[in-house]
Amino acid sequence: MIKAAEGKDRSYITAVQEELQQYTQGLLRENEKLRAMATTLESDKRRLELEVIEARVVLQQKDELRRAAEAFEAERMETRMQLDRARHDCDAATVELERLRARFYDVEHENQTYAAQYQQIEIQSSNLSNLYVASYQLHASVERETVLTTIQEIVVNLIGSEEVAIFEFAEDGGEFRLASSFGVDLSRLKSFKAGSGPIGQRLLGGEVFVNDHVSGGEDKLTACIPLRIGGQIIGAILVFRLLEHKQGLQPLDHELFELLGVHASTALYCANLHQVTAAAVR
Amino acid sequence: MNRKKILLVDDSNTILMMEKFILRNGPYEILTATNGEEGVLKAAEQMPDLILLDVIMPRMGGFEACRLLRSTRATSAIPIIMVTTRGEAANVEAGWANGCTDYVTKPINSIELLAKVRSFLGDEVGQ
Repeated sequence: MIKAAEGKDRSYITAVQEELQQYTQGLLRENEKLRAMATTLESDKRRLELEVIEARVVLQQKDELRRAAEAFEAERMETRMQLDRARHDCDAATVELERLRARFYDVEHENQTYAAQYQQIEIQSSNLSNLYVASYQLHASVERETVLTTIQEIVVNLIGSEEVAIFEFAEDGGEFRLASSFGVDLSRLKSFKAGSGPIGQRLLGGEVFVNDHVSGGEDKLTACIPLRIGGQIIGAILVFRLLEHKQGLQPLDHELFELLGVHASTALYCANLHQVTAAAVR
Repeated sequence: MNRKKILLVDDSNTILMMEKFILRNGPYEILTATNGEEGVLKAAEQMPDLILLDVIMPRMGGFEACRLLRSTRATSAIPIIMVTTRGEAANVEAGWANGCTDYVTKPINSIELLAKVRSFLGDEVGQ
């Protein structure tokens, strides 16, 4: 019996041992599985850690990009504001440019007006100088020959004709006689009577005769200037052809003719009186 | 400060006075002579910066005076403007042949004369 009991126990123990062994093996297998799972998990963990790192990097980059985007946006806004300001400035500058351009045209026009006025004043000044010089020279001497020479000089140098003759009225013959001439052959016209011939007729009116179209004149007479003292004609200045380069008579020439009519006559009259007085004194 | 000297040579008092009038407002010292001979002597003495020379004058004409001024070393480089009553080609050619630098015709146009004088002397006052 005891042996039977020992056999029962032994088989029980063996069964338990086997069961334990199976259980242990099961545990070992489970352990293996768990180990493998742990390895996988470890691997997953490392992978996830890497992914986390990568994600952090990505997040960091994203932050940087966001900040950059914000900076860019701020810059864009600033640029837009600058652009708006620039557009505004540009519009203002365009308006200013138009204003300045209009002002420039005004000033340029004003400048041209002043330049034209200046030129007119220069011409007037020059004309007045001519008239002043002519009258000054006519009255600079009481010598008859000097006065006659001055009349010629005025005609040659200020009017521009090298063909001039000066006639004086002679009481004794009641005619105009040649007193002086320059550049013209007057062998056939040493004297003439008032009212006789083309020149004598022109003197009758007592006014300055001017032919502005010399080339068409029958006697090529440019001007016939009566020399008057009071109402009496004491002589005449005849101006024939103008110098070739002189392009017709100018308003100044008409003024000079009028001046000669008044001042040459008084100068010549005074010179003649002086000559008579000087002769009487001698 | 020395002003530029201009020598006016003409036997006509009318022309001398007219030229003085035209040049009166410029920064110029005006010298005058009444014939070519006097003009040549005055040019050698005074060494003007410019000479205005009439063509027909007693004692010595403008062309001869011009030739003499050009042949004299001291005065050979002075610009000479001939003042002539005749503007035709032959007369102008004679002026160039005798050494003139430029010419103006009578009656003198003040604006033309001033422009020519300024082109030779400038607007600046000589130093």
